[in-house]
Amino acid sequence: MSGKIKIMERKGKDLYERLYLIEVFKGMAVTFGHFLSNLLDNSKLYVRHYPEVKPEITARWRGRHRLTKYEDGTMKCVACFMCQTNCPAKCIMIEAGERVDGRTEKMPVRFDIDLLECIYCGYCVEACPMDAIRMDTGIFSVTGDERKSFVLKITDLLETPGAFTEEEYKKGGA
Amino acid sequence: MSQLDILLIVLRVAFGAFVPLCFIAVLVWMERRGAAYFQDRSGPNRANIFGFRAGGLVQNLADAVKLITKEDVVPGHITHKFYFVIAPVIVFLIALVSFAAIPFADVLILDGKEYIMQAIPTDLGILWFLAVAGFAVYGIILAGWSSHNKYGVLGGLRAAAQVISYEIPMGLAVISALIVYGTVNLTEMVQFQGQLLFGFIPMWGVVLQPLGAIIFIVAAFAETNRTPFDLAEGESELVAGFHVEYSSMKFGMFFMGEYVAMFTSSAIIVSLYFGGFQIPWLATDALVNNTRLVSFLLMLLLPVLALLFGAWMSKNNRSHYPRENDPRVREANVYAKIMWGLVIALELLLVIFLISGSGGMAARILTAGLQIVTFLVKVTFMCFVYVWVRWTLPRFRYDQLQKLGWQTLLPLSLLNIFVTSAIVVALS
Repeated sequence: MSGKIKIMERKGKDLYERLYLIEVFKGMAVTFGHFLSNLLDNSKLYVRHYPEVKPEITARWRGRHRLTKYEDGTMKCVACFMCQTNCPAKCIMIEAGERVDGRTEKMPVRFDIDLLECIYCGYCVEACPMDAIRMDTGIFSVTGDERKSFVLKITDLLETPGAFTEEEYKKGGA
Repeated sequence: MSQLDILLIVLRVAFGAFVPLCFIAVLVWMERRGAAYFQDRSGPNRANIFGFRAGGLVQNLADAVKLITKEDVVPGHITHKFYFVIAPVIVFLIALVSFAAIPFADVLILDGKEYIMQAIPTDLGILWFLAVAGFAVYGIILAGWSSHNKYGVLGGLRAAAQVISYEIPMGLAVISALIVYGTVNLTEMVQFQGQLLFGFIPMWGVVLQPLGAIIFIVAAFAETNRTPFDLAEGESELVAGFHVEYSSMKFGMFFMGEYVAMFTSSAIIVSLYFGGFQIPWLATDALVNNTRLVSFLLMLLLPVLALLFGAWMSKNNRSHYPRENDPRVREANVYAKIMWGLVIALELLLVIFLISGSGGMAARILTAGLQIVTFLVKVTFMCFVYVWVRWTLPRFRYDQLQKLGWQTLLPLSLLNIFVTSAIVVALS
């Protein structure tokens, strides 16, 4: 255990620094530089004008969930309960029923996600064997004025389109 | 008492009472937008009335509405409700009253009568400030104690200890200033600062008393409980210090009191060390005797300033993202029109002044107006220094604060007294 010992020089002990005022003025010069350049041209501010200018969302961003569909419009989900079982927040509530579109035997008749419980961990996406649930809607802010509006129904989940192309999504590493 | 007397009394008291109140809005705005610009943010700039945001000043109205309509809670555990309620009033009132003895223009001579341009025309001057300003801490201590809350008590105690230790260097710095000026009357002090040193340097206090000025400014920062000395409300350790238990307008009173105190101490710093209402190289007599020249220069200067300001405004008051028919550009155009209207009105006034002959009374009033503007500009800049320091320096640790006060500022201010009196004695 003979690691390299680096002795740091302790600053602030000599008269120049203990005078304090000179360093104060140096600091004030730095801040005033920022103030002045921003005052003379406020387009230099490091600010995004948020509600009007949206932030860039990458394909890897875990946004609000959606359920994916095949090209013919039938849903990919087969109600295998993998996501519900895997969910650490227990926010997914699936009820399976008989499949009517002829693809397989099962499909969900109820697929609720309680966004107030959801922790946006993305485990449901990873658990899904059918690539049926994704978090690529790019929706990062969910608002509502009552609790009920935060429980997404199967129709909401199916209706929301993905915000990215298939290539972008795949490149994102999902 | 003639009508003029009564009018001037009303005007002076109104100035002393309303200007600090108006400056609350300006200072809160300056603090928030200034802080934002120091940190490369933009600060509150969304609140508006019909799209007019006045650079964020409208936010103050929104804040005021919010504070007034909030529920006024007096927690159940508070046994001394009277002290609890009176504390913010003391803080606010004391801050306001201590401005009363500060001159905002030179002695106005109308019809051979002299009017001292202070809210309270008293000779006490700096003594009034020292006596009254020390009282503000009673409000803070009362607030801390009656809150019946450990954070509150700690904040109050800290404020008390801090004000006691910083009032001493402050008083001593004032003493050395008094030795130089030879008077306690603030108007006479500022008149003294209108002279020229070696014929070309304005004889401001900061030139004659550089060390005293620094000590006084540092102590004034501590007196107003501003960063780097705002331990009384150090939010990282005391939540909010003495005003933890206060809500609604009772908190608002503390908040406003802080800004009025900032304005008052800026005013006293400016009066003591930065020439008060004096325009550099233009003492009152020079102004009164050359009003024609001065008003002519003003007529030239006003449009130039307005042009510069208009250019700055049209450059900066626009949306920084693509937006159809940008409302902020329209807003800036309206402001530009208002500004040019004001400029034209002022020019007309000055023209009338020039034509009608600069009689004694008009010249004196113009001089007083100019001095008031100078005073307010200086005070605004000093307040900006407060904001500037706040967003530059970190807070002191408590022992560092006491060490600085007792071991550095106190000996320095004593030394300053000796050196100053030696020089004054040697020169006289």
